[in-house]
Amino acid sequence: MVLKIHGHAVAPLVRLVAEVCREKEVPYELVNVEVYKGEHKTPAFREFQPFGQVPYIDDDGFILYESRAICRYIAKKYASQGTPDLVPRDPKAEAIFEQAVSIETSNFYPFALGITTEKIIKKHRGLEPNEARLSDLVNNLKAKLDIYDVILGKQEYLAGGSITLADLFHLPYGTIVFEELGYDLLEDRPNVARWWKDITARPSWLAVKAKA
Amino acid sequence: MVKLYGFSGSTCTRLVALICKEKNIPYELTSVNLSKGEQKAASHTAIQPFGQVPYIDDDGFILYESRAIARYLSKKYPNQGTSLIPSDPKAEALFEQAASIETFNFSVIVGPIVGEKVFKPRRGLQPDEERVSELLASLQSKMDAYEVILSKQKYLAGDSVTIADLCHLPYGTAFYGLGGSFAEVFDSRPSLSRWWKDISSRPAWLAVKDGA
Repeated sequence: MVLKIHGHAVAPLVRLVAEVCREKEVPYELVNVEVYKGEHKTPAFREFQPFGQVPYIDDDGFILYESRAICRYIAKKYASQGTPDLVPRDPKAEAIFEQAVSIETSNFYPFALGITTEKIIKKHRGLEPNEARLSDLVNNLKAKLDIYDVILGKQEYLAGGSITLADLFHLPYGTIVFEELGYDLLEDRPNVARWWKDITARPSWLAVKAKA
Repeated sequence: MVKLYGFSGSTCTRLVALICKEKNIPYELTSVNLSKGEQKAASHTAIQPFGQVPYIDDDGFILYESRAIARYLSKKYPNQGTSLIPSDPKAEALFEQAASIETFNFSVIVGPIVGEKVFKPRRGLQPDEERVSELLASLQSKMDAYEVILSKQKYLAGDSVTIADLCHLPYGTAFYGLGGSFAEVFDSRPSLSRWWKDISSRPAWLAVKDGA
């Protein structure tokens, strides 16, 4: 049975899972969830994902949610095909990978998601952005990206010399903040700019952007 | 002996200490005094570029980000002390799902509440009570989902405790300790309450909860 991704094609974390499936050459079927009609909040949906969020996967009856958990599962299940070592196996390389994943979680995602919430999600709900909070979020993100520039000045990717899930996890919300919302935070950070250009040029990501 | 560089009272430093206690891993704490800003000193940021605590030095191997350290130590000593990460692929995937739930459906909300109500007053600042109310409101539906999950299984990833459960303890304890409507979030939900009492009374946590 082909892997089923339950979600909506525009949802950033659905696109993340699609991206990793493509990196690992894993065919999938996107089963549409009408998020604009609140289908993900229905009891029927919550049977599978109790938080009422997308995506979740159905891998031959095995249900899994939380996009980063799904990406890890796919990367490990299909370790021997597609882009190698998206989750490194050597214990020290794996630890440095986990460090990089956690960096994205604590030092990038909260700010990128916050900016997206103020500028896009609130708009969909007919609310005005909180300009003070937005300004704080952007300033915090800039400070964090200064550190990214130091790290990426010493190595090609966040976990070392090869690309891993830690880099790919930045794609959905990074694309929203840097490209869709046009926050030009990379110009003064040449190493981050180099890294961002590299990971966003990956054929799998370009394919997902065209059609998840 | 693992060298732990952090602050005795810091949430993330105590998480690492907790894992060490669970796994019977001896550690030595070197204090980085946050109230004196020692984490921003050049000697510290040379090792932890974000100017945060903790980091470890395990026989010359340096690692930061507390969740990464927790995973590294748990995997390095799989057969010592409490088993904290499953190795079976499906059990591991469900662990990753639980770990992601903790990060994105709990800590992302409870962390800022604790920041406002506990850390700000320590620095002589006023909590933003409007923000706290918003955060608390958004936490309720998340805890409803926890209630559903924990009514079917003992812990977040299944019937054995994992790092995913333990990661709730530092911020969760500070949150619960606020009493009133904060403690009520856990106390009003029977399965959640049962789980909270279980993990918060673990001897390893009691050993470090007042200082790493």
